[in-house]
Amino acid sequence: MTASPPDVPIALEATALTRKYGGVTVVRDVDLALPAGSKTALLGSNGAGKTTLLKMLSRLLTPTSGSFRIDGHPGPSPEAARAVGVLGHSPMLYEDFTPLENLRFFARIYDVADADARIEEILRQVGLWLRRHEPTAIFSRGYHQRLALARALIHDPAVLLADEPETGLDPEGVALLDEIALARPALTVLAATHRIDHIGAWASGIVRLERGRLVEDTSSVGLATEGTPA
Amino acid sequence: MTSLTAVVAKDLRLAWRNRAAWLSAMAFSTIAVLTYSFAFDLATGDVRPLLPGVLWTTFLFAGVFAAGQSFQEEVDDGTFDALLFSPVGATTIFLGKLTANLIALLIIECSQLVLATILFDVGLLTPELLGIVVIGTVGYVSLTTLLATMGGHVRGRSVLLPVLSLPLLVPLLIGAVRATGASLGLEAGTAPWMLLLLVFAIWSTLAAVLLFPIAAEQ
Repeated sequence: MTASPPDVPIALEATALTRKYGGVTVVRDVDLALPAGSKTALLGSNGAGKTTLLKMLSRLLTPTSGSFRIDGHPGPSPEAARAVGVLGHSPMLYEDFTPLENLRFFARIYDVADADARIEEILRQVGLWLRRHEPTAIFSRGYHQRLALARALIHDPAVLLADEPETGLDPEGVALLDEIALARPALTVLAATHRIDHIGAWASGIVRLERGRLVEDTSSVGLATEGTPA
Repeated sequence: MTSLTAVVAKDLRLAWRNRAAWLSAMAFSTIAVLTYSFAFDLATGDVRPLLPGVLWTTFLFAGVFAAGQSFQEEVDDGTFDALLFSPVGATTIFLGKLTANLIALLIIECSQLVLATILFDVGLLTPELLGIVVIGTVGYVSLTTLLATMGGHVRGRSVLLPVLSLPLLVPLLIGAVRATGASLGLEAGTAPWMLLLLVFAIWSTLAAVLLFPIAAEQ
């Protein structure tokens, strides 16, 4: 594992994170220390343990052993949950709600201050403000993913965990994803992706898993050479 | 508390928007009560001994049929995961869903009590009977909500829920039917059966609250 620059706080730290299903170890002793503002691509072939690692960090799975901290808070705490946004394969939206209703609900459970203004801001950013009263069910896959991005960022998290976030997005959607999430200076990103050609556009480092083991970690290198993010 | 009210309001709004399951439960229970009223000879016989069974089979099947649906949609849309990784605790998620299911089901049950009062010409809208219905419903909705969570990722879950829940609900059914009978004057005193109902409702709610976080994890 690469050492992070001493003056940059660690936004996401994992220590010996392990997950077993029955007798099979899917993620084994993974150590991570992602500096605040770093953008890290999580690489690995199918079955390498990327999704399981992201699910543990987003609290959907309890680690068999090991621990993690998000923005200085212990992984299982509500404070850690408030510091994380999650963008997954599925958009995780209420299909019978409008974009406005979806975001109002998530803003409420994340205790977002001045929620109406924040909802308007994020819906304008993802280009859905004019469609805010339409049912989510009629949206295309790309629009679903845009709204999912708004849901993941509504509470202005310190860390974004993303599992193949480009899936279903057209080039315009990918550019939007880069602009408002992956390239956001203060946001720490850990994103599993198979689009190695696109990593150069946003990632400052990579983490590679093979059969559940961490085999490569340059998550701190980009920041060490590029300096602390704004 | 804000999170709990947010989850309850969301679940009630979703139940209203996608009300097919609850309307089906309402239609099923109405048809059941109507059919029973045709079957019994209201002019010559005392129908009161049959009413506890009529009411509780109707309530139970309507509840088992509808309670699993709301949870299933959350799992299919992935929104259940979004709740799990939010700061809302698993207990709050469970209590929110339980409350929303309870409100929706009590509306159906009260409407059936009104219908049965008219059709069977027996006074069913008494505070005592309403209390029995509320306690009994809390008991079985908490259990069916937990079982719906456990079966959420399993194939054939729509079959699994009634198969798993009905044997577990036998003590509640006995207590509810006997307490209802006692409140209709068929036997002396509702107290022992009310106590059984109350103990079951507390046990099933506590067990569900404790087990829900384990059941909710994938």
